[in-house]
Amino acid sequence: MAESVSLTGKDIHLAFGANKVLRGVNVHVDAGKATSVIGPSGSGKSTLLRALNRLHEPQQGDILVDGRSVLKDNPDKLRQRIGMVFQHFNLFPHKTVAQNIALGPRRMRGLSKDAAREVAVQQLERVGLAAKADARPGNLSGGQQQRVAIARALAMQPEIMFFDEATSALDPELVKGVLGLMADLAAGGMSMIVVTHEMGFARSVSDTVVFMDHGQVVETGPPAALFDDPHTERLQQFLSEVL
Amino acid sequence: MVPWFRAARMRSLLMLLLSAVLTLGLAACSSNESSPDSPTDLCSPPGLGAAAAAPTNLGAGAAAGEDRYTTPNTTPLDQIDVNALGLITPGKVSVGTLSDAPPSICVNSAGQFTGYDNELLKAIAAKLGLQIEFAGTEFAGLLSQVANRRFDVGSSSITTTDERRKTVGFTNGYDFGYFSLVVPTGSPITGFGDLNASTRIGVVQGTVQDDFVVNTLKLDPVKFPDYNTAYANLKTGQIDAWVAPSQQAEGAIKPGDPTSIVQNTFSLNNFVGWAVNLDNQPLIDALNSGLDAVIADGTWARLYAEWVPRELPPGWKPGSKAAPTPELPDFAALAAERGEDAGPTQQAPKSTLAQLGDTFFNWELYRQAIPELVKTGLPNTIILALVSGVIGTLLGMALAVAGIARTRWLRWPARVYTDIFRGLPAVVIILLVGLGVGPLVRNLTGNNPYWLGAAALALLAAAYIGEIFRSGIQSVEPGQLEAARAIGFSYRESMRLVVVPQGVRRVLPALMNQFIALIKDSSLIYFLGLLATQRELFAVGRDLNAQTGNLSPLVAAGLFYLLLTIPLTHLVNYIDRRLRTGREDRTGTLDPLEQAIVVERG
Repeated sequence: MAESVSLTGKDIHLAFGANKVLRGVNVHVDAGKATSVIGPSGSGKSTLLRALNRLHEPQQGDILVDGRSVLKDNPDKLRQRIGMVFQHFNLFPHKTVAQNIALGPRRMRGLSKDAAREVAVQQLERVGLAAKADARPGNLSGGQQQRVAIARALAMQPEIMFFDEATSALDPELVKGVLGLMADLAAGGMSMIVVTHEMGFARSVSDTVVFMDHGQVVETGPPAALFDDPHTERLQQFLSEVL
Repeated sequence: MVPWFRAARMRSLLMLLLSAVLTLGLAACSSNESSPDSPTDLCSPPGLGAAAAAPTNLGAGAAAGEDRYTTPNTTPLDQIDVNALGLITPGKVSVGTLSDAPPSICVNSAGQFTGYDNELLKAIAAKLGLQIEFAGTEFAGLLSQVANRRFDVGSSSITTTDERRKTVGFTNGYDFGYFSLVVPTGSPITGFGDLNASTRIGVVQGTVQDDFVVNTLKLDPVKFPDYNTAYANLKTGQIDAWVAPSQQAEGAIKPGDPTSIVQNTFSLNNFVGWAVNLDNQPLIDALNSGLDAVIADGTWARLYAEWVPRELPPGWKPGSKAAPTPELPDFAALAAERGEDAGPTQQAPKSTLAQLGDTFFNWELYRQAIPELVKTGLPNTIILALVSGVIGTLLGMALAVAGIARTRWLRWPARVYTDIFRGLPAVVIILLVGLGVGPLVRNLTGNNPYWLGAAALALLAAAYIGEIFRSGIQSVEPGQLEAARAIGFSYRESMRLVVVPQGVRRVLPALMNQFIALIKDSSLIYFLGLLATQRELFAVGRDLNAQTGNLSPLVAAGLFYLLLTIPLTHLVNYIDRRLRTGREDRTGTLDPLEQAIVVERG
């Protein structure tokens, strides 16, 4: 597994036309640590992740990986270092589970077909789905699909992982398995930024929690401080609604 | 996959084909009983038995005007330089002709272009020491194809008119034309004078008869693409009258047909000649010399008596003014004699049902048509559809990718191309490409429009296929592109590996429909002029139809189209299912959504 890195977003601005989604966001995760991003819908959390891996280029601000700006790097190369997991899994339905996972390693890490398959099977064992290697994603449950998506991201040996509401689309009884897997990753020293509505997870697993609203960071700090002693009215109100 | 599902589908398909074959078989048997006589080949010399006197019912004021165009004399044959005739291929005369107007111009049962006009032209080419090659085309395009040097000579019983002389040059006359007025038996119309604005008058588009009805009679005719279609419409009562060249009229009307010729008309200036490029006077001179030569040695008289034995109209003879008057049998006497022998062998008109059965389900003609359809038509249709389908798919994919590109310099040209090619009728595109682009790429294609036609079909298909691909690609959820890019693939790799394959799968049925359309549209390249061996299913069926005056060959050609297209639609459904469910699916179950899609497709 690759060494985990730290990542910093500095004063990130991003607008779609007149709609200013991110208005000077600062966010940071230390190497091997987990940062959770919480906040109401539409606050810009998911867009923040896409700005940080340059799926949407930030219009202002800087992105630092291990203290070095990566804005001038090839964005495809940057994204190869950052694993991302989506709310709706976004597995490739025309490929088998193993092919979904092997595609990246085979095409971008230059592995042979057999070696890429080997990687895929290893990652599937890690998420407990080795038996499903040759199934189609459409035949898996949501929880299984999300675990495959995590395996697909891990197969690229990422230095940091982004989770974008990874459990929001799952049936309640399937949430636990995916959260457990994410907690295991965090415990194993993977740097991660987790956009989530699971306050329990944010509190117990992350080292830092960021509360966003209207495209800005309203409050940030260790989970205990934020959840037990919110300073701003907006966070207090948000917590009273979700807890 | 659920096995009963597939089996049921196969069964229903088989039932359909079986019942089609049975229906035809039964119909063929029943029609066999009612008409044991095997159909005659209209495209063979009728011989002296068909001799006709000059029509007695010649319209008044017909033979007016003085002959202004016939040359006084011709260059002696031994002074013609055959290397200076400006032929497209030196040493070979390339002739555009039609297949549907026996006995003047037609394809015989051996699949060769023949008829009086073409046999005479062969004799002249032999006199000049030239090879000759025939290709079939549409009359509507023939003169422009001669003007564009697609052909050296147009041979189609072309009546020379001042209007046509602006486009092409003409040889001296080798035949003459009456116009015949054909009406259903018992019609109140007895002559050209009875035609009025409420009469539905059929003509073939772009012919002298068309011009005659519009400009001389000042009436508005119904225009048809060819003589057969016009006559079929008269027989079935869709039109009240048909104005036709008299040879075509006499050739078309068979014993027992419920139609008759009620009047003829003639003009001395409008003799029948071969069309040649306006600037190619040497070739016109050479053909005139050859024509005088075959008149002098008796070939003209022999062919004329064999194919089109009619009394010459007063004041007209073939060739230049210096050509000897040919010695012909007394056709008028022969006709009179025959008339006394047999009397007007007026067969009892067949019942409408028998007429229809014989027209569509003549088993003898199926037997005659099928080998030709298999040998010539089927391979050509498949080649044309496949070649244009493959090129069209590649081009269509390029158009689709350009159409959704992020730069307008790709999007715009793709848009404009699609709008133009989707907005034009297929025939127009084929004619534009064939006649417009043809001369520019002559070095590449020679004088062979076959591949140009395939290219035109490909260009046409690309516009539709491009739109199909584009809609398919755009229907793939944005999350798929995002996920591929998040893994680290570039935009191009993401499209190629993830988005496009999914998009293509979704539109496979639409794509196959397009291919089926292409199979059918391939019949249109006949407009460009094809050699007999290059004819596809429709052209083969149509030529046999013209040769026999019976629609059965076209129905047979239609069956072949169905044999191609029906299995294709079922094949695509099968492939579609396989792609959706996957071969290696070990669980054997589908989630409810997929199941729903599969059932819906089925």
